Amino acid sequence: MITRVTDQMKFDLLNNSMATIQSKYNDLMEKLSVQKEVNKPSDDPGGMGKILDYRSAKAQISHYQKNVDSSKAWLSATESNLSSVNDIITQVKEMVIAQSSATTSPTTRKIAADALQPLIDQVRSLANGMFGNRYLFSGSRTEIAPFSAEFEAARIDTPVAATENGYAGTVSGAGTYTGATNKTYVVKIVAGGALGAATYQVSADGGKTWGVGVPPTVPLGGTIADIGDGISLTFTAGTFVANDIFYVHAYAPGYYNGDGEDLASEVGKDLSINYNITGETVFTDHVDDQVGIFETLDALKTALSTNDAAGIVDTLTPLNEVQNQINRYVGRCGTRTNSLDTSSSTLVEMDVRITGLTSNIEDADVAKLVTEFQMKQVALQASYKMAGELTTNTILNFLR
Amino acid sequence: MGDVGRILNTARDAILANLTALNVTGSNIANVNTPGYSRLRPIFGAIGVFNAATDQTQVGVKVISIDRLYSKYLDAEMVRQEQYNAFSQSQLDILNRAEVVFNESAGGGINDQLSKFWGAWLQLSANPSSITERDNLVAASQSLASMFRQKATELMSIQRDTNTEISDAVTQLNGYLSQMADYNNKITQIEISGGSAADLRDKRTELLRNISQIVDVNYYEEANGQLNIYISNGRSLVEGENVWNLDVEVNPAISTNYDIVFADAPGVVINDELNGGKIAGLLDVRDTKVEGYLNDLSNMAATIVSTVNAQHASGYDLNGNIGGDFFSKLGVINAPVASSGNAFNGTVSLGAGSGYTGASNDKTFIVRITGDGTLATAKYRVSSDGGTTWGTEQTFPGPVGGPATITAGDGINLTFTVNTVDFLTGDSFSVQAIANARDMQVDPSIVADVRKIAAAATVNSDGEIAGLIAAMKNDTSAMGSGVTFDNYYESLTSLVGQDVLDAKNNVDHQTSVINQVDNQRQAVSGVSLDEEMLNIIKYQAAYNAAGRLCAVVNGMMSTLINLGIETAQ
Repeated sequence: MITRVTDQMKFDLLNNSMATIQSKYNDLMEKLSVQKEVNKPSDDPGGMGKILDYRSAKAQISHYQKNVDSSKAWLSATESNLSSVNDIITQVKEMVIAQSSATTSPTTRKIAADALQPLIDQVRSLANGMFGNRYLFSGSRTEIAPFSAEFEAARIDTPVAATENGYAGTVSGAGTYTGATNKTYVVKIVAGGALGAATYQVSADGGKTWGVGVPPTVPLGGTIADIGDGISLTFTAGTFVANDIFYVHAYAPGYYNGDGEDLASEVGKDLSINYNITGETVFTDHVDDQVGIFETLDALKTALSTNDAAGIVDTLTPLNEVQNQINRYVGRCGTRTNSLDTSSSTLVEMDVRITGLTSNIEDADVAKLVTEFQMKQVALQASYKMAGELTTNTILNFLR
Repeated sequence: MGDVGRILNTARDAILANLTALNVTGSNIANVNTPGYSRLRPIFGAIGVFNAATDQTQVGVKVISIDRLYSKYLDAEMVRQEQYNAFSQSQLDILNRAEVVFNESAGGGINDQLSKFWGAWLQLSANPSSITERDNLVAASQSLASMFRQKATELMSIQRDTNTEISDAVTQLNGYLSQMADYNNKITQIEISGGSAADLRDKRTELLRNISQIVDVNYYEEANGQLNIYISNGRSLVEGENVWNLDVEVNPAISTNYDIVFADAPGVVINDELNGGKIAGLLDVRDTKVEGYLNDLSNMAATIVSTVNAQHASGYDLNGNIGGDFFSKLGVINAPVASSGNAFNGTVSLGAGSGYTGASNDKTFIVRITGDGTLATAKYRVSSDGGTTWGTEQTFPGPVGGPATITAGDGINLTFTVNTVDFLTGDSFSVQAIANARDMQVDPSIVADVRKIAAAATVNSDGEIAGLIAAMKNDTSAMGSGVTFDNYYESLTSLVGQDVLDAKNNVDHQTSVINQVDNQRQAVSGVSLDEEMLNIIKYQAAYNAAGRLCAVVNGMMSTLINLGIETAQ
């Protein structure tokens, strides 16, 4: 207990209390003007951490939402093209039934053959449909139109050397492709060196998984007889560098130029959705027990042109099968779209909840703040008044 | 029997004494606002004896002494509290600046940029061959890297400013120490010759407060009035008139840091001997707190760079090439050092193509020779944790004539050339790699050609690798022990906020403690104008009375003198 009060003490006390009140006053003003409780980490350290966490979760939700939207759009385009193809096949089937009756003549069949061609072109155009600048049905080779006009036998493209390879020679391909589906083979150099010394690995799935080459070392003559499925590569003289890449596309017999890879996009935490349908699975016979649509349509055209009644009738079963295939995948598009809708609504709900949680920590209770502000104003005024009184009451007033 | 003259003497004594007392009161009033002033009080003492029998009947008054009122205990308490206060205050000032660096409350900080970065990879995975998405990704990555660079640079600049402040504080302290010795000298001289050095003592106590604000000191006062000051390990700063100055010395490992040494003992660093006061506070904030923030930031940057690069290297770009570095390798590798006791007298240098690919902010590799031999036969082991654990024994690859290159780890190669003496068991070489967030940047080859971003897991146009990189956002093993990148940064921000809050609370607490001690000190030593006013009245009254006595005695003397003079009839 202070028993003796000096003048300095009185002024110091007033000074300190005014400074304290001013600083709290300023703090309240800051909070009121931005209406946020947490304006710097030291306002609420634990809360600041949570706020940042919520913010990053919200950002991720919005990005997932974008992926959901773009996947839905792709699926919608796919479904619409598939449905249109389905409708055309129905038309073709009617034509088959009409032309297989006894009342037709070679002339009508020829006319029908001519009428069929535009339908075939339309189907091909739908199968080569695009979304943005990517083809819908090419699998992962989205820059290549999946279906060509003519049937082609099994073939192997010219091998490509990656642009940054250290190897300066050229590579050429040969052999007959024996695979049942389209694939991309990749050869990767593991240990560099010249012909006869460098070792390599081979991938049959575009470069994801690797197996040891047979033989494991690049032969001295530069020719690897069979990297798989009958493909042979020949290298001219040169020095390989580790991680040099060579790839070659190989195609099974048919009209299809794409591959069978799935494209997936992330639509949630640990949740990705495969959003594409490859032309190989819905339109070709590369995959088990399916029917090739263009093979069937071309067979029908030939049968119509050559007045082959039995051939015309024979196309009915494959055409039905094609429609089954298409419907199966239209259904799949629908299923995927449904699950995307579910993801979307989950994301929206999470977003709302997180906004609420953030607001609880971050936003200021304006009513409470205004009340405190008023109280501090009163306190400030009181201390100002006290300062004024300080000098009016001294002993000097009473001494003459 | 009385003596008129003696009464006059008494009156004179009274007048003079009360005049002195009024003078003292005047000093007090004049110094009512002087900080550190201890009020003076005149002590009256009666002189002489009143004994009617022996005719000694004069009792006068004299001001025996002028006392300076102060409490030794409170002064010591004040000195101690000033140390704590200055420690906390200096920390608060610097930490407030650091808080600005981590202030994410308005958005637009690392938290935001990181989200945009992950989002850009996510977008790319859904449309991998699109040049627009690639451009977007590069822009987001560059913003992220630039933000890391900026924050690291700001933290380092805060450290440098702190460094300058430390140097300024040492200079200021040395100035105070000289002044202290000066006061010691003057006070001793004045008091030996019997004078009063009250005002100098006041000033010296104030100076002591200032000194303890800079450095935590202990002190004691000798019998002859000299004040000796020493720091916590017992070494003296001031002894009487002798002064031992402090000095700053550049730290050999970190050239932007000063260490504190005694000016006459350079090389003996006394940083750890200082526990309170401004210098200790600044050292702590520079070397522990801000350094800690910088290390955490660099750790995070290094880990992002190395994990993104590792995943990127497993993918293919639009040209079919295997992915290269997405971010430039982050790390400065210091020149390798050969131990001084090595038998080997050739040279060791960084191998060509070395680039630190590790994720740790500060890693030292040690190569130790475990089998004598030449550059083609000697055996060695490598440790990547500074010597705690060792790898398997390997043999130098030769050729015998050199140069021979071995791998230390994390992308660092060491090349040895032989001189005249080969390796002996026990020789060791170390190389240190430091990753600083200040250097984070997107690899220029990616910026120049966005087709080089490896988004695909095959040579065709899928987006699987981009998806895997985007999923790293949720990877709880990225920064170790169940923490994602975002969580790590959030913890760091919370840590900074908590440090600032702690410093604020300390300062508030210390300020109120100091105010309390100051009040107690004031109660003892402060001047109260009310009291002094009353004192004036007191002394004035006594003065007036003594004056009246003079007048009366004067009258009586006149009567005496005029006793024998005939009045005219």
